[in-house]
Amino acid sequence: MSNLKGAIVSAKSGTEKTIIDILRKAMDKGVFDAVMVPMKVPAGDAFAYVLVKDKNLLTDASVLPPTMFVQGAKAVSSITRLGKGKMKIAAVMRPCEARATIEIAKLGQVDLENMIIISIDCPGVLPSSDFLKNPEKKIKQFYEAANKMDDTIMRPVCQICDKSSMISGDIHIGTLGAKKDTFFMISNTKKGEKIAESLGINLKDNLDNWQNKVKTISEEKHKKRKKAHKELKAKIGGINNLVETFSHCINCHNCMRVCPVCICRLCYFDSDKVKHPSDDYLDRAKSKGSIRFLPDTTLFHIGRMMHMSVSCVSCGACEDACSMSIPVAQIFSMISDETQGLFNYVSGRSLEEPIPIVTYKEEELHQVEDENE
Amino acid sequence: MSKTLKINKNPEQGVIDFLSFLLENKKIKGVFSLKKIDKEGSVAYSLITSQKDLEDAVPFYPLMPVNAGKLLSRFTLNGPPADLVAAVVKPCELRGFVELIKREQGSLDNLLIISSTCNGVYPTKLGLDKTVEKNLSKYWTAAKKGEILEEVRPVCKSCEEFVPYNADITVDIVGNNDLDKQCLMCLNSKKAEELSKGMKGDFSDKQIDSKKIDKIREKRGAEKKKLFNEIEKKMNGIEGLIDIFGKCISCHGCSKVCPICYCVLCEFESSDSDYKPSNYEAELKIKPGVRVPQGTLYYHLGRLSHIGISCVACGACDDVCPVDIPVSMIFKKVGESVQKMFDYIPGKNLEEKIPLITFEKEEFSEYED
Repeated sequence: MSNLKGAIVSAKSGTEKTIIDILRKAMDKGVFDAVMVPMKVPAGDAFAYVLVKDKNLLTDASVLPPTMFVQGAKAVSSITRLGKGKMKIAAVMRPCEARATIEIAKLGQVDLENMIIISIDCPGVLPSSDFLKNPEKKIKQFYEAANKMDDTIMRPVCQICDKSSMISGDIHIGTLGAKKDTFFMISNTKKGEKIAESLGINLKDNLDNWQNKVKTISEEKHKKRKKAHKELKAKIGGINNLVETFSHCINCHNCMRVCPVCICRLCYFDSDKVKHPSDDYLDRAKSKGSIRFLPDTTLFHIGRMMHMSVSCVSCGACEDACSMSIPVAQIFSMISDETQGLFNYVSGRSLEEPIPIVTYKEEELHQVEDENE
Repeated sequence: MSKTLKINKNPEQGVIDFLSFLLENKKIKGVFSLKKIDKEGSVAYSLITSQKDLEDAVPFYPLMPVNAGKLLSRFTLNGPPADLVAAVVKPCELRGFVELIKREQGSLDNLLIISSTCNGVYPTKLGLDKTVEKNLSKYWTAAKKGEILEEVRPVCKSCEEFVPYNADITVDIVGNNDLDKQCLMCLNSKKAEELSKGMKGDFSDKQIDSKKIDKIREKRGAEKKKLFNEIEKKMNGIEGLIDIFGKCISCHGCSKVCPICYCVLCEFESSDSDYKPSNYEAELKIKPGVRVPQGTLYYHLGRLSHIGISCVACGACDDVCPVDIPVSMIFKKVGESVQKMFDYIPGKNLEEKIPLITFEKEEFSEYED
């Protein structure tokens, strides 16, 4: 965290309004040309990312919405996957969305050159199915819970998130440890520093209060996470339990399509590779008496784990999209902690860290070698 | 006049006995049916080859975890099986399969299709907490009387196409007073008649009472009118559609589970639908902001125009939607209006070409300038 520089920003009109004012000012000054920010949809029953060019529209922005209907990295990718445009765009999102953005930039799905990634200390998000029961009431409940640091109504993976203040983008808004009517504005990159400078924000304040608070909370959450994973492992560990866990899966592959790091346009598990001749299916059935049709439900999930768990950011989008209430995100958070741990890697932590799958080291993973060889 | 086989057991057991007879006598190689797959009572479509595993089959279970038309397409996509396989499916699943066959996505060859008159299925979610299991006797009582159940999928409540087309065997379920002790199987094809030779039961010429069917269809029609009115009020022009689809998270689950949407790569996930930065820049010149990813409503309108003509209103799309958009009722409503224009009932007749690929010199003159 040594490169971090910060300023204490006065926020008498409230954190959200002050952030929006800063964004507006930056657009005025031409620091950026557009802002990608969550906004309530006309019906009021969802929040969607909107790329805003007219700064007056920012009044309706919701920088920390109660839900995550689309993962921010997916939104950024839809803007820049085919290359950078002429506009400088600031994207306001949660830390796990910023991390996913960085992660898929490494996979060539985001062009960061004209993007400015701004993240905010995150209290978690509500499961969308829960939110939809009564959006108006749930919005109120969310902000009340967020103020009290109460995560019990948030997504299960949010309740065990130990990276809710991790900075991977250019600028971070720290609300933890801040005195009343202030927040920390923290730069993580040269780009971020320059922006603060051009907005007349002096990055010379002490960040200890924020850093200490973040440390306490992440340590607390980390313990909770370990405990939750241990309990989960007891429940789903072993092939029988795993098959049972995924037995309700209807192969809709929603989890894969909403996943910010599942970037393939055509998934292997939707490709012709998994479409077999009818007699092959019959032969398989014959060897067991019967097979589920389609077969290989669990294989899909294990395959997806192998393909992307090293890049999983535990955002919980998959679990939200699962129509059969399978705890996909919790399972993936457990597996990804282990696979990322093997490589001392944290998905999206830094643009400079190469993804383990694309690196080669002569000496690694001895623990999985055969002892007899 | 085609024959009917009556077995003195309830339809589910009667059909299992019949399938067991076919397996035992090597008349078929396997069975495709809903089956209990674990001790918890989860139900999934399965391919069964042993008589023992057939005991766990629940051919008429009121759930549709996946539309079987899609599954039979996957089964036969690379050619039909070498030997006969029996498949027990619901009427709308069979219609979906027939539509897929018209699109060269499968084949009826070497399949013995068993279907039934259908009293609907519950939303798949209700299978998770055993609600369906607990309500089974209630379901069968309603089926016996031909009553509409409040809890089944909305498209099922309003389904008028509950008598299967193209089935080799039709089992009389809806409105059958003797449901507890009688499995009445109408043998619609020569294949079915041949195969049932030697099966224990009473053969006769008795047919499903068409007056009874008409009455039930009338009830369903009234329900449809009501549900169409409700959805029409909500749809109400482009603003209404934006309100309905505004919460869509673009997971495209509705297209993945749709028995008609068969494209390996959907147009709306292809590079054709990618926006270049310059596209966003151009849009932002005329609008204060654009939603990202773009094209949320466009996707649904596009899908409506691609598959509306063949929509069988099975309701799979509703079940998979994580944000509770009433996709299926909208597709049923719009689909039926398009189908009416072409006097087309999807999945009814394998020989009838899909209107999209036919050309008639004289049609739609009303839309001409």
